[in-house]
Amino acid sequence: MKTIAQAVPFLAPVQILILSVIVIPSLYVVWLSLNASTFGQSPTFVGLDNYVRTLTDPAFLHALWNTVLIVVFAVHLELALGLAMALLFASGLPFRRILLVAVLAPYAVSEVIAVAMWRFLFDPDVGPVTIALASLGLPTLDWSFEPSHALVMIGLLTIWLHLPFTFIILYAARLAIPKDLYEAARIDGATAFDAFRRVTMPLLGPAIVVALLFRYIFAFRIFSEVWLMTQGGPARSTEVVAVYLYQEAFRFNAFGTAAATAWIMVVASLLLAAGYVFLLRKQVVGNAH
Amino acid sequence: MHTNPTMRTRKVAKRPALRADRLAIGLGKAVAVGAILVWSLFPIAFIAMSAFKPGQDIFAVPPKFVFTPTLQHYGKLWSDWGMFFDGLVNSTVITIGATILAITTSTSAGYVYSRYSSRFLNASVLFLIVVRLIPPIVVTLPLFPIINAMGLNDTHIVLIVLYATFFVSLGTVLMRTFIDQIPRELDEAAQIDGATRLVTLRRIIVPLAAPGILAVAVFVVVFAWNEFLFAFIFTATKAKTAPLVISEMIGSIDGVDWGVLFAASTIQLIPVLLFVVLMNRYLVAGLTAGATKG
Repeated sequence: MKTIAQAVPFLAPVQILILSVIVIPSLYVVWLSLNASTFGQSPTFVGLDNYVRTLTDPAFLHALWNTVLIVVFAVHLELALGLAMALLFASGLPFRRILLVAVLAPYAVSEVIAVAMWRFLFDPDVGPVTIALASLGLPTLDWSFEPSHALVMIGLLTIWLHLPFTFIILYAARLAIPKDLYEAARIDGATAFDAFRRVTMPLLGPAIVVALLFRYIFAFRIFSEVWLMTQGGPARSTEVVAVYLYQEAFRFNAFGTAAATAWIMVVASLLLAAGYVFLLRKQVVGNAH
Repeated sequence: MHTNPTMRTRKVAKRPALRADRLAIGLGKAVAVGAILVWSLFPIAFIAMSAFKPGQDIFAVPPKFVFTPTLQHYGKLWSDWGMFFDGLVNSTVITIGATILAITTSTSAGYVYSRYSSRFLNASVLFLIVVRLIPPIVVTLPLFPIINAMGLNDTHIVLIVLYATFFVSLGTVLMRTFIDQIPRELDEAAQIDGATRLVTLRRIIVPLAAPGILAVAVFVVVFAWNEFLFAFIFTATKAKTAPLVISEMIGSIDGVDWGVLFAASTIQLIPVLLFVVLMNRYLVAGLTAGATKG
């Protein structure tokens, strides 16, 4: 296959799918975002008006704030849990393979089923977890009325669904650290904590960055968990950016602002990724020195 | 050193303490493992178990773990929510379609990316990775009117294409990683024997890259079987998937019938859970390769 022409038939299916389903529609969204349009009305060019309108809409800002809260709290808590579990698994456990499969189980669960489970377990009246918490005198989650409780619920749910991913990334990276390094550290008189700080953490650095990047990007587009749990309510108080987009587009038929929201999401994801690629580069270079 | 008396006494004194330490560590680990198992499995086990609990036992306080299992909720699911079973059929068709489409296209592209390199190819790999940053909800905006205009709304084909497309970029990068591990000499030998590239791909690469194909399959199957957003936007009645029907049960206006909801959830969940358990090695391999290479 010396020429590109010969490679084309092999690459074409993938590239055609991506171009026609993702890239061209996304670029069309840019055009949409620069026009005011709704059903049965021809679009008129309005420049950046939709972006201004979106970025000054209190409902959007509230949705953005909720999204940032979920991303910051849920993703970092998930990382801490995933890291702790990876280190626990690496320290040697009996039945490791079976335990690993058990930890992977939530990966197979649909958001829809997960929401059904959690809505029942935390049901304010009959939920077993609610009843257990109440009988222990612990605070319960009043998630159907109290927006902040609903966000905690959504955060927990999203951690439950994605912890397998974070855990596997970190566990695989931890297993890839050569045993000799720990032996050498021990011979040099390092305590377990020293070894963690000086060997484990620096070598896990790239994996942590990768896991965080993926999870930031995926948590930022969270839709199903929120939609199925609260539909963004009560009174739009638990909306996230993707739910705001959905409402603008499919409920208010405001395609211009919906498109602007969509591109704000794309640009935010690209910026996040760019920031992390930069960080990763610096870290790799730093390690090489 | 060895004759140093203080050292020796310290060592002797330390032994029982060490044993106690080890016991404490073991105990701590057991507690941690218990907590992890409860966290990961309790919600799943509780819902699957409740689907077999008779009537009011679902709401018993404290929860009943011993009960006479019944199929009453499954019966009610069959009689009241017949469309759930249509949803299962739709989900099956769409999952199989999306998996075949994603695997065939990503394997052939992964083959080219593994075996040949040029500035153009390297740029298009980067393009594949950047595309993954675009949130799926973004494309629903322009695709919704287009799909309606084409008369494809509420058909299997729309979801098959959408599900496959959102995994071909990861699929291609994964397949490239797996095909990289197959010695080039094998396909060169085949080509000297007169095999075309397509034959080389089918006869040499595909069998040897099977673990990669399975890894891609796990991703696509789990995604297509469980997906909500696209199914919610692009289907109405005919092509409705099982998760969408279950979401309607959750949002039911006349109160949720938990028993029926659990029965449906169990039926939807068991096949994909078994699939993930059986394929766990490929899932782990795929996740690790996907995260480091893609």
